Amino acid sequence: MTDWNAMSDAEFRKEVRQFFEAEYPEELRHLPHRPKFAEIEHWHRKLHAKGWVAPAWPAEFGGMGLNAAKLLIFYEEQQRWGVNRGRDMGVQMVGPLIIKFGTREQKDYWLPRILSCEDIWCQGYSEPGAGSDLANLRTRAEIDGDDFVINGQKIWTTMAHDATHIFMLVRTDPDAPKKQQGISFLLAPMDQPGVDVRTITTLSGETEFCEVFFDNARTPRENLVGELNKGWTMAKALLSFERIFIGSPSLAQNALGQLESFARGRGAFDDPVFRDRFAQAALDVEDHAALYARFADQLKRGETLGADVSMLKIWVTECFQRITELMIEAAGPDGGTIGPLQVGNVSVDVLSSFYKARPTTIYGGSNEIQRNILSKAVLGLPG
Amino acid sequence: MTQTDILSSEQEDLRLLRESARTLFERAGGSDRARKLRDAGGGFDAEMVRELAEAGVFGVAVPEDQGGLGMGLAAGGVIAEEVGRVIAPEPVVLTIGLSLGLLRRLCPDHPKMAQLIGGEISLAVAWQERGPGGAPADATCRYADGKLTGGKAWVVGATGSQGFLVVAEQDEGPVLVLTEADADGLVIDKRTQADGSSSGELSFSGTPAAELARGDAVQAALEEAVVDTTALAAAELVGLSGRAIEITLDYIKTREQFDKPIGSFQVIQHRAVDLNVMCEVAQAGVRAALAQMDSETDPKVRTPIASRAKARAVTAAKKITRDAIQLHGAVGYTDEFDIGLYLNRALVLSAWLGDDTYHRRIWFEAREAEGAAQ
Repeated sequence: MTDWNAMSDAEFRKEVRQFFEAEYPEELRHLPHRPKFAEIEHWHRKLHAKGWVAPAWPAEFGGMGLNAAKLLIFYEEQQRWGVNRGRDMGVQMVGPLIIKFGTREQKDYWLPRILSCEDIWCQGYSEPGAGSDLANLRTRAEIDGDDFVINGQKIWTTMAHDATHIFMLVRTDPDAPKKQQGISFLLAPMDQPGVDVRTITTLSGETEFCEVFFDNARTPRENLVGELNKGWTMAKALLSFERIFIGSPSLAQNALGQLESFARGRGAFDDPVFRDRFAQAALDVEDHAALYARFADQLKRGETLGADVSMLKIWVTECFQRITELMIEAAGPDGGTIGPLQVGNVSVDVLSSFYKARPTTIYGGSNEIQRNILSKAVLGLPG
Repeated sequence: MTQTDILSSEQEDLRLLRESARTLFERAGGSDRARKLRDAGGGFDAEMVRELAEAGVFGVAVPEDQGGLGMGLAAGGVIAEEVGRVIAPEPVVLTIGLSLGLLRRLCPDHPKMAQLIGGEISLAVAWQERGPGGAPADATCRYADGKLTGGKAWVVGATGSQGFLVVAEQDEGPVLVLTEADADGLVIDKRTQADGSSSGELSFSGTPAAELARGDAVQAALEEAVVDTTALAAAELVGLSGRAIEITLDYIKTREQFDKPIGSFQVIQHRAVDLNVMCEVAQAGVRAALAQMDSETDPKVRTPIASRAKARAVTAAKKITRDAIQLHGAVGYTDEFDIGLYLNRALVLSAWLGDDTYHRRIWFEAREAEGAAQ
């Protein structure tokens, strides 16, 4: 088995880059939407054969066992080449939880099925009354014989209509003294009576999100991961790395590149006002990269990230939005037109990048929530 | 030693430098000292200049074989940030970036080098001129037969300097000359700046001066020194911005309205966070720019990097100091609270050597030129 961490950063980057460039299908590069599994299945099989489905998992569970520094490189190369993350909820979220908190049986059963995509997972955290305020969730799971019986509703469940299983936070003790207590982490099959999935069409016309309704749906008791009523602390324990990932410069960098070629084709740079606003946006991205590097260095030194990493997400997502707004401005009268616009020999879908930028300030904890975190944990402002 | 070890020992040197500069300024009285000096009519503290020199501050970016510490602009930036934190009026950035920047490139053996590094003197640099409408104009100040005629504008550090390094014209092209502050035929018109410092308008009528260097080298050295100073001014703005936020946070944590500290209101918290994020981005961007400049020699590459730094620092400092006043409420508008000193200093540093719009243009044009060349 290869010890990737023993390679130099440059060697490792080269290896990853070569694989992506040689093997990733051209037509799937920079996909504008979240693909259904069937669309990327072929690529997934290749990754699986290579043993590269789960870069962060320890090698004993079939992962690459990458340390933080190598992991950042892996993701950077993935984003640089426009490699779709595929259906990675299993790998990114439920897998690490099972690895950390699951029983031997749970590990043996679920982990290989995640890697092979035999099971395709979706995440059931948010509810209509519990988005950023997750502790407010109301979906109930009650023990009945050998099963949990689930009742309630989840929302913003990404790609639930293309999933076989859902991992969810559910309330198992409604009488717990604090809202954060009495919540458990549960795995459940989707294919059963009592689970109803309804897709939600987004502003851009895509169906990425779903609502999932549970009406006396059942899941065996052995599908409880970790201790009963301890789901909240478990779910929170795994957020640290995701928080630098969500603040990475890639989305904004790609959009800036698109803006530049589009605006050039449209002659927008003849306007000094546009030039200044483009320069502002470009420098916003460049200086964000300097800040990002500071946090990445922290990870590379083996330190854990503090709450201050939230500032990356705030800055880069808002910057991404400004860039996509400039794209619309540069399009002039075409700024409201759906579909690709041909400019010279490039074709740019102005609205698709605009829409893509909208949820970035909402998901992963809205930017307002990130600001609340920073004000308390970093600036020490009073409650 | 691996690459990482070398990097971290450099980081460690910079950290120690930062600590000693901070201690020195805090012991001297922090930002209270800035207020006292301003109220005493501007200028700076010669004793402080000597103490800074003892700590190696002025020679920090001068190569070791020229009597400096050879630590580069990144180290200069560390000191500039500390100067900004306490808005020290001493000519630190001016000396590191401009006067020593010129001399070390043009006449490193001149005795004034050692005197500047040793904090025995300070020299202001007179290189810009004002056109009839008040805007910057091409150089017309002339030097011939050992004498200067004409005038110079926006001379920072004109008050308190023992002499002037003047970039003038002569028949063979540009020339760098040295004139004493009390030279015959030199009139200094002091224009008071927002922070209480003065910007000197100089006029020369047959003022005696000594030639230091001549020819194209003067123009090249001037441009490079100005670029260095631009980046250092950005670092000073970053230090100033960081401290302005700290002062504001202290204030909103204690100031009560409606029986609560105003810092507990979400709208105030979010604004404070935005200022903090802006400041962190500026700090990271400016520090990265200075480090990049240290590893680059080509002026075509270094110039836009310095512009990137100044554009970022000015944008951040403007927003931070203005919002800091707002967050202080009415007292922020009074001279009794320190936050106003920071706003005023930011105004002066932002205007000096080009504001953010100007530097974005320089940066963008360099980017275009590079794109066209490829």
